[in-house]
Amino acid sequence: MNTIWRKAIRDFWHERARTALVVLAIALGISAFAAVLSSYAILTRELDRGYLATNPASAVFRVDSIDDELVKAILQNPEVSDAEPRRSISGQIKAGPVQWRNLVLFVVHDYGNIRVSKLVPEQGAWPPATGEILIERDAFQVAQVNIGDAVFVKTANGVEQPLVVSGSVHDVGQAQARMENIVYGYINLDTLVQLGEEPRLDQLNILVAQNRFDEDHIKRVVADVETVIKSRGHQVRRIDVPRPGKHPHSDLTGILLLAMSSFGLFVLVLSGILVINLLTAMMASQVRQIGVMKAIGGTRGQIARIYFGQALFLGIAAVIVSVPLGIIGSRALCRYMAMFLNFDINSFAVPWWVYLLVAVIGIAAPLVAAALPVLRGTAVPVRVALSDFGLSQTTFGASAFDRALTRIGGTFSLIVLAIRNSFRRRVRLVLTLLTLTAGGLFFLSALNVRASMINTLDHMFAAGKFDLSIFLARPYEFEKIQRAIANTPRIVSAEGWFVTEASLVSRFTVVALPADTKLLDLEIIEGRNLAPGDTDAIVVNNVLAGREAKMRVGETVTLRIEGAESTGRVVGVAREAFSPAVAYIPLSSIQHPEMINSLRLALKNTDADAISLVKSDLDRNLEREGVRASGSSSKSERRFGFDQHMLMIYVFLIVMSAIIGGVGGLGLMTTMSLNVFERRREMGVMRALGATPRIVWLMVVAEGVVIGMLSWAIAGLLAWPLSKVIGNLLVRMLLHGGLDFTFEPLGLLIWLIVSIGLSALASFLPAWKASRVTVREALAYE
Amino acid sequence: MITLNQVSKTYETPAGKFAALKDIDLQIQPGEFVGVVGKSGSGKSTLLNMVAGIDRPTSGTVDIAGTAIQGLSENKLAVWRGRNVGFVFQFFQLLPTLTAAENVMLPMDFSGSVPFRERRKRAVALLERVAVGAHADKLPATLSGGEQQRVAIARALANDPPLVLADEPTGNLDSVTATAILDLFRDMANRGTTVVIATHEAGIARVIDRRIEISDGAILKQ
Repeated sequence: MNTIWRKAIRDFWHERARTALVVLAIALGISAFAAVLSSYAILTRELDRGYLATNPASAVFRVDSIDDELVKAILQNPEVSDAEPRRSISGQIKAGPVQWRNLVLFVVHDYGNIRVSKLVPEQGAWPPATGEILIERDAFQVAQVNIGDAVFVKTANGVEQPLVVSGSVHDVGQAQARMENIVYGYINLDTLVQLGEEPRLDQLNILVAQNRFDEDHIKRVVADVETVIKSRGHQVRRIDVPRPGKHPHSDLTGILLLAMSSFGLFVLVLSGILVINLLTAMMASQVRQIGVMKAIGGTRGQIARIYFGQALFLGIAAVIVSVPLGIIGSRALCRYMAMFLNFDINSFAVPWWVYLLVAVIGIAAPLVAAALPVLRGTAVPVRVALSDFGLSQTTFGASAFDRALTRIGGTFSLIVLAIRNSFRRRVRLVLTLLTLTAGGLFFLSALNVRASMINTLDHMFAAGKFDLSIFLARPYEFEKIQRAIANTPRIVSAEGWFVTEASLVSRFTVVALPADTKLLDLEIIEGRNLAPGDTDAIVVNNVLAGREAKMRVGETVTLRIEGAESTGRVVGVAREAFSPAVAYIPLSSIQHPEMINSLRLALKNTDADAISLVKSDLDRNLEREGVRASGSSSKSERRFGFDQHMLMIYVFLIVMSAIIGGVGGLGLMTTMSLNVFERRREMGVMRALGATPRIVWLMVVAEGVVIGMLSWAIAGLLAWPLSKVIGNLLVRMLLHGGLDFTFEPLGLLIWLIVSIGLSALASFLPAWKASRVTVREALAYE
Repeated sequence: MITLNQVSKTYETPAGKFAALKDIDLQIQPGEFVGVVGKSGSGKSTLLNMVAGIDRPTSGTVDIAGTAIQGLSENKLAVWRGRNVGFVFQFFQLLPTLTAAENVMLPMDFSGSVPFRERRKRAVALLERVAVGAHADKLPATLSGGEQQRVAIARALANDPPLVLADEPTGNLDSVTATAILDLFRDMANRGTTVVIATHEAGIARVIDRRIEISDGAILKQ
């Protein structure tokens, strides 16, 4: 190794404490990036691999009934490799005194021969015997049951029956039960009969023979299959073609992890700022050495190589530290996401390209950051470099800004000195503020986004003036239901709605409700709301208006609702956050306005116990009238699901702000350490003039705190617009909605305390070192 | 041969223009030991910087052994200096994180003129020549001022340059050490190296071949 490289290494060793700080800061950035990138690679691979292992259906047909002949006829098509009938039926489940929970029951004809959309048995019995039910592993918490417990189950047309929970299964393709607040149960055909339902199957899962991941090909095969089904006199109620080979949550996971990756990169950029700070200070302190090296024959390129070598060392050291940290972080993140999305990870193996990318970016980032200080530092002419007497000679007071600063305070004090000192190295100050402010911005944004999400949800739930929704097994006469309601205490008001689906270009929900509804107060953003006397008016929400070109105010559209065509005119657009596409029409405009399939109830008391009581009373009274409820949903249950989705975004922002705050703290520590290093002589003079070590210590800490408070002020000013942008971006990406923005003032106070604490902590060590320097050492230092 | 022809150097300062050198005409023969004497601020260092190619004249030419150095780029000047000039500073200017031997090896690494495996051997030999061979593996901070200046002289000789320039090389040393250092320069000149020393040392007359007196940027006597 030649002396050039020896110098590079020894200079760093000489400044090992500062070097370690910068390596740590870069490592933090790379770790965050590596963790997220590894998680992205692992999760997307495992999610799709786990999903594909279940042999997911290429398409799902909902048909009136399926028999062996129909399956055989479909399998005649060489493009169809498999077709398997099932049934899914909604119902309710109850264990002990716990209230009824919404249930989706899957009926499988032959558990020993599931070939499409396979289930993975987890614990207990397999297959379920007659009188038994298996529960999806994530739904046990929702149902509040254990294996071996007896539960009561009732379906739309059947009778309430006791079943035994005999085991658990993992159904990879289902949305997370806890998030949806729903129970997935699995029974056989005989149990279905026990529950009072007809022993028929109505869902057909088909698998295409070739080009399994070609959506267009699948759609062509689906059209052929549909023709076969119809030609045999069956009705096709609905066809779903899921995205081929992709888990239903694959996109959501990808977007979330990509967002995290970009923030990881952002942290890396911020840690690069520390490299700029370190190398700028190092170049400045070595100007004379650079002059000497040039004087004895060193070219600019040779000298620049020394400092680029140091940047390279920073990058390599940081990558070595951060790769294991990143792997540990990615495992934690993967486990959390897997639990969140209800799937298993078989291998945490990180693909080679992740290591390569992390190494390249980790090593390149400090090199890029070093470019400017190194190129500027080595460009100093030899004569100028040789006549440099060190940084302590830099003058303060030359610029108008310096003179303006001297007006602050007026009398000499520790704070005045701290403020002026903090502005001496302005580029360094700006770079340090950048990292600290970024931490503050993310923290404040996290709190603002959280407050805005709560605000948005508050608005959204305020539009619905009902506390409880009851879904009926089929349409019933409202007259019967009104009798049941009249006999149920603690119901303040009730409306019967008819909820169904229609389609134009896409499928959307149609809600037929009284035109003068008192239980839904839509936020109209264009046109008007439904009004009494309306017969053909349609109000669409912003989601539907955005999706369907025809759904514009003033347009006339024909909708096919429950087999009958209904023509209406769009009179208004309503804003509904986090909502599916919905069209609202007057109940009077549908073919049988006296028949409703959904109830909205405003209650006297809205606590969980009171709602539960009303539900059970109403359920009993409806049964007496021959009306069967298939499910229910209270306002708080719906809110819980939304809160869970929001929590994910909020936690992500808080974690990011903690990491960026950490990098900012390390940056401030580096800055303070450089400031102290450069002003050792000055501190010696102060000590010689009578300043105690404590005064010197306080002076440095105060300087750090001034920088911390400056970053707080800037973060506070920028937080408003930035929170709005970040919040809207995240919510739009993940939940396809916008935010009702609100500012969280408490965040300012919390971040002020954190800023002061962090900056005092970051300055503590440099201040302690500064206070320990003896007068002789400080004055002798060159 | 070193030839300075009508060399002037003017600096722009906040207080106005400052003429550091005024129309200097100077010739130095190969192997000559020249002392440039003058008060502080007289222009000695500027003159040395012109000869070393560290600074460029505002007007005039500097020709060193047939090379007009004022026309070379910064990088070419650095390469030229590495091979042709050894420089000794008043404050030694050893790189603090390199040992004495490594400091001497540094110019060899820059110029690449000495084969890699021979560099240390040569550095130690040079250190022995200036009587600090025993300190070859010590860091500068552990050496006395005189020892550091001897290491700096060894470094100046690293690439066996035909020209050694020294700016106040004894200015920071006690008289006994200063005498020993001047003897080293004399020895260098005796071996055929051209030596130019800028100094205000009275004892310089004992060792030099020619004295050039400079004041306010102009040569008074040579």
